[in-house]
Amino acid sequence: MQHSTLELRGLTRRFGAKVAVDGVTLSVPPGQMLGILGRSGAGKSTLLRMINRLIEPSAGTIRYGGADVTALTGKALRDWRSGCAMIFQQFNLIPRLDVLTNVLMGRLNHRPVLSSLFGMFSAEERAMALRALERFDLLETALRRAGQISGGQQQRVAICRALLQEPALLLADEPIASLDPHNARVVMDALRLINREDGLTVLCNLHHIDTARSYCDRIVAMQDGRIVFDGSAGELTSDRVREIYGVSEDEFHGAAMPAGDLMLA
Amino acid sequence: MRVAPAEIAALRARLPAAFGASLAVRVGRVVLAVLAVAWLVADLVWFDLTPARLWAGIGGLGKILRLMFPPSPGEQWLDILNGLAQSVAMAFLGSFLAMLIAVPLGFLGARNVVVNALAHFTIRRFFDGMRGMDQLIWALAFVRAVGLGPLAGVMAIMAAEIAILAKLFAEAIENADTRQPEAITAVGGNSVLRMRFGLLPQVAPVMLAQFLYQVESNTRSASILGVVGAGGIGLQISERIRVGYWDQVLFIIILILVMVAAIDQLSALIRRKLIGEG
Repeated sequence: MQHSTLELRGLTRRFGAKVAVDGVTLSVPPGQMLGILGRSGAGKSTLLRMINRLIEPSAGTIRYGGADVTALTGKALRDWRSGCAMIFQQFNLIPRLDVLTNVLMGRLNHRPVLSSLFGMFSAEERAMALRALERFDLLETALRRAGQISGGQQQRVAICRALLQEPALLLADEPIASLDPHNARVVMDALRLINREDGLTVLCNLHHIDTARSYCDRIVAMQDGRIVFDGSAGELTSDRVREIYGVSEDEFHGAAMPAGDLMLA
Repeated sequence: MRVAPAEIAALRARLPAAFGASLAVRVGRVVLAVLAVAWLVADLVWFDLTPARLWAGIGGLGKILRLMFPPSPGEQWLDILNGLAQSVAMAFLGSFLAMLIAVPLGFLGARNVVVNALAHFTIRRFFDGMRGMDQLIWALAFVRAVGLGPLAGVMAIMAAEIAILAKLFAEAIENADTRQPEAITAVGGNSVLRMRFGLLPQVAPVMLAQFLYQVESNTRSASILGVVGAGGIGLQISERIRVGYWDQVLFIIILILVMVAAIDQLSALIRRKLIGEG
């Protein structure tokens, strides 16, 4: 997919009477690493899922390189989804299938359905998958079941699957919320690596301010479905956090994180 | 993101298994597939199953279907209702008595309760042996042992059901979360208390769900036990088939379907009440 600017205009999603995302307008230039910050329930997930149309917007438009993403259907929609890869909080791998096959799933929109149904992937595709796994130090897990490896490894497998889609964008929905601090760093490093080396635009939902500050070029903060801050990492100072959310940074984290969640200090 | 042939070859050399099954495995698969097809064809020849004969069989069924319409309760509809009620009662009684015996047996058959491997193996093979005998064979045996009537049916259902429920219960117990009994051990509880508070609360809903499903399933199978004289609606069906009253047979079949659906609804209701949605 061509690298272009992602344009959201007045993007809104209502669930019954509740407005999850409220008139978000945002422009993301190609190659940017954007952190979307907010407490749980701020609308970050809904926003990200609307971008690859896992959730349909109630109002507003998504444009990418002149194309109206909100109007896509059928094959064009599947092409769009394959062009903006998704990373999930719970990894969403197929635990019963081996790691290699999970990574090969990233090719599904690029190849004939019938041969995919019989698992007939070419040697070149297998080599692509292995090369991606090797890049993230996972080659030796290639033939193990995805459910048997650690959470941090699973999330990196999910990143490999995303890379095989050869996307222009990467949407990461709380990619480290289920991981311990060490694995969280490894996964965030991996996301930054593909942003820097492969030039992918990365949109990453986070709920910890420090993670966003240290990894993202630009930070957008959300509250109650609206954008309440949009600026560089340096501009989001402790004072700004207090101004926006009315609480200190520590209090923000205390409220944002469910009990038992690990801090990424 | 194309990959050069040299790199493919290098990766293939490092991880050959990632590029598909080896030749030996592939040959093995083909051999197995050929054997399976050969067995299938051999069976078709053995039973002389030709398309023409299958077609004739379907035609014969069509003739019977025409005789079934319109369904009719006939003269002795009271016998039908009585038989139906008997079938339901047999199924419930047989399943319930079986459950009483299967709960302790299930605990005995669970690997995490009876740790001794030989004991576990013996108990589980005993369940397998019991299950190997079909309900209908138990019914034939009990009709000889206790005479014609619903008692033989209840005992047949019970005998077949004990092993099934015991196996299902044992598996539910084996799949139980180990952290809960660990907590009971940690507070100083003995093994009986561990089963009572560490295992039973989590497996009881599973057991109940399986019991309710078996009641429903046994209601269906209880309708056939009467054919061999073990009480219930089966006797009514077989008598009417013998004299060719197919319209009354259809009437009974419809009643059985309605009854099974009602039991299904009822058990879903009980499940919701006792276990909750979650």
